[in-house]
Amino acid sequence: MSHADVLSIFSGALTTLLLSIAGIALGLPLGLGLALARWAKVPLLNQVVAVYVSLLRATPLITLVLLIFFALPTAGISVGPVTAGLIALVLNTAAFNCEVWRAALLDLPKDQIEAAQSVGMGQALRFRRIVLPQVWRTALPGLINEMSQLVKLTPVLAVVGVVDITRAAVRIGAQTYEPLPPFLVALAIYIPIVYALVSVQRWVERRTTLREAAA
Amino acid sequence: MPTRIPLLSVQSLRKSYGSLHVLDDISFTVAPGETVCLLGPSGSGKSTLLRCINWLERPDSGRILIDSQPIGVTSGGVVMNDQQLAQVRTRIGMVFQQFALWPHLTVLQNVMEAPVHVQRRPKDAVRAEAEALLQRVGLFDKRDVFPARLSGGQKQRVGIARALAMKPALMLFDEPTSALDPELVGEVLAVMRDLSSEGMTMLVVTHEMAFAREAAHRVVFMDHGVVVETGTPEAFFEAPSTERGRQFLQRFSEGRAVSAG
Amino acid sequence: MMNDFATVWSERGLLLSGLGNTVLLSVLAGLAALVLGALLSTLLMSPRQLLSLPAKALVDLARCTPFLLFAYIVYYGLPSMGLQFDAWSAGLFALTAYHAAYMAEILRAAWAAQPRAPIEAGVAFGYSGLGLFRRIVLPPLALSSAPVLGNQLIQIIKDSAFLTIITLPELTHAVSSIQSRHFIPFAAFLTAVLLYWALCLVIEAGVAAVGRLAEARR
Repeated sequence: MSHADVLSIFSGALTTLLLSIAGIALGLPLGLGLALARWAKVPLLNQVVAVYVSLLRATPLITLVLLIFFALPTAGISVGPVTAGLIALVLNTAAFNCEVWRAALLDLPKDQIEAAQSVGMGQALRFRRIVLPQVWRTALPGLINEMSQLVKLTPVLAVVGVVDITRAAVRIGAQTYEPLPPFLVALAIYIPIVYALVSVQRWVERRTTLREAAA
Repeated sequence: MPTRIPLLSVQSLRKSYGSLHVLDDISFTVAPGETVCLLGPSGSGKSTLLRCINWLERPDSGRILIDSQPIGVTSGGVVMNDQQLAQVRTRIGMVFQQFALWPHLTVLQNVMEAPVHVQRRPKDAVRAEAEALLQRVGLFDKRDVFPARLSGGQKQRVGIARALAMKPALMLFDEPTSALDPELVGEVLAVMRDLSSEGMTMLVVTHEMAFAREAAHRVVFMDHGVVVETGTPEAFFEAPSTERGRQFLQRFSEGRAVSAG
Repeated sequence: MMNDFATVWSERGLLLSGLGNTVLLSVLAGLAALVLGALLSTLLMSPRQLLSLPAKALVDLARCTPFLLFAYIVYYGLPSMGLQFDAWSAGLFALTAYHAAYMAEILRAAWAAQPRAPIEAGVAFGYSGLGLFRRIVLPPLALSSAPVLGNQLIQIIKDSAFLTIITLPELTHAVSSIQSRHFIPFAAFLTAVLLYWALCLVIEAGVAAVGRLAEARR
């Protein structure tokens, strides 16, 4: 593998990183919105979200990416590989995030909200000052876990032609007839990133257990 | 005695779960400055009644008026939305059995939270009032502590201060001492007694008979969703006028004798 | 639109063969991963650091590795080291090895959460060895870990879709082929999505049934 090859892998890594961040940034609030729709039992929306989440959690990301990349153009919307990949990532991660947020919301004792209602807080105020500040802490380990899962799924983007780490590695391997070294380099980039996220998750979980034990 | 407009008026309240009548045509009033204790065995509907008054639970039918203002259903007969309910609820203070303090806020922040963010009163004025309230319940020195560090009795006293901070016309107490260890009950009842003697209008669901005897102006005895008896504490405790009232008091004193003996 | 689905239906042979491969691959890999994972978990729980530390490192490594990359390495990379796999073997190997690590961690956690007292009672009553394991240890362990194992099986099914990139003729591969020949991407891929969903619902129903069994025995 030449110097240029390594550089192209790192350039792919940048694409992967940016897409991961975009996917996480969009998927977190979307997941929260979906969870709230279910938690507040908004009629019709509640059931639609339930079906959406069930469907998206069962669908392999590669199948979803292919569906979006090839099917959207037939509906008149032309999407490039990056857009298709990002849409698939966000739709997928939002479904998983929804379940994490939902579990955290259900974990909140009912009388927390009743106390807020009893002092005359409206819905928006209750959510902003009482529900969210408590719920984000509960949801955090699960959300970070989902982030690490998302990063592990980004190689899928290579399948539709996004020039990320994986596609760069494949290309080099095809050119040099030595597929193993570029893949190992790709692995060497992914593993520390995911490991960092997993470590943060473990640290957060430890701190929560400690704080609960002290109280 | 001049008849005063009742502060709280409950009219023909009904609530059922299927065939179970939790509240069966309940009507009563509470005059301004009165302390009324709701007594009765478990399942009598007293907690449900209390929670219907600020519409944390929704009655099936009937009317509730706070200072002649309806809650839950407007005078036009329309069910109130969240915003309208919130408006009326600012006039009612509630103290919860499990305290329900907000764990991510300090004691002082708990007390200041609603006056600042709901009533939009200036922060400095609210802080001064909140600190005064905490002084009153004896927890001024704990004002910067988080609720997790407090005992049950301390938490409940903060809960009372938090409710009072809204300057409510009516205070509701939902079994305020039932979740407390016995030795912590007294400090909470003392605060409630003071509040009552200062003229706060209070509706208290409780099993603390001694408190009802000493602090209440009236007791309302409920059983199976119905108001069985009402009267002064002396009248009820000395000579209940109904058989069910008698049985309840008897079972209660038997229980006390067993646990004391 | 309906024509598209009719076209998909006309290719149902290919579709079923792809679905069959997905199911077969996932079930085999799931079972193999479970067995391998059980062995690996004994290493994880070993008091000897010489055994437990490498095992833990291996599990952590698997947890941090994207499956797609791993599959690529097994199929395209290993031949350069002399290990040749056909698509099926490579796919099965990759799925099994990868998920064995996850299974090991799941089983370790499930075992740690098991109350010891009933087992001690079993020993006190004279159970030992295989009998103890089969009749005293295994049943509650299986019941309590069913939901997590069910989730892992769903994960295996989803990861099997990645194997389309190593030309393994599973469901996504079949559907891609149908799509590229008839130009009916929406109908083709939607069919695949619905089939994956159906598989997932079947597993969840199974887990729920086990859950009811567990509830009765709580």
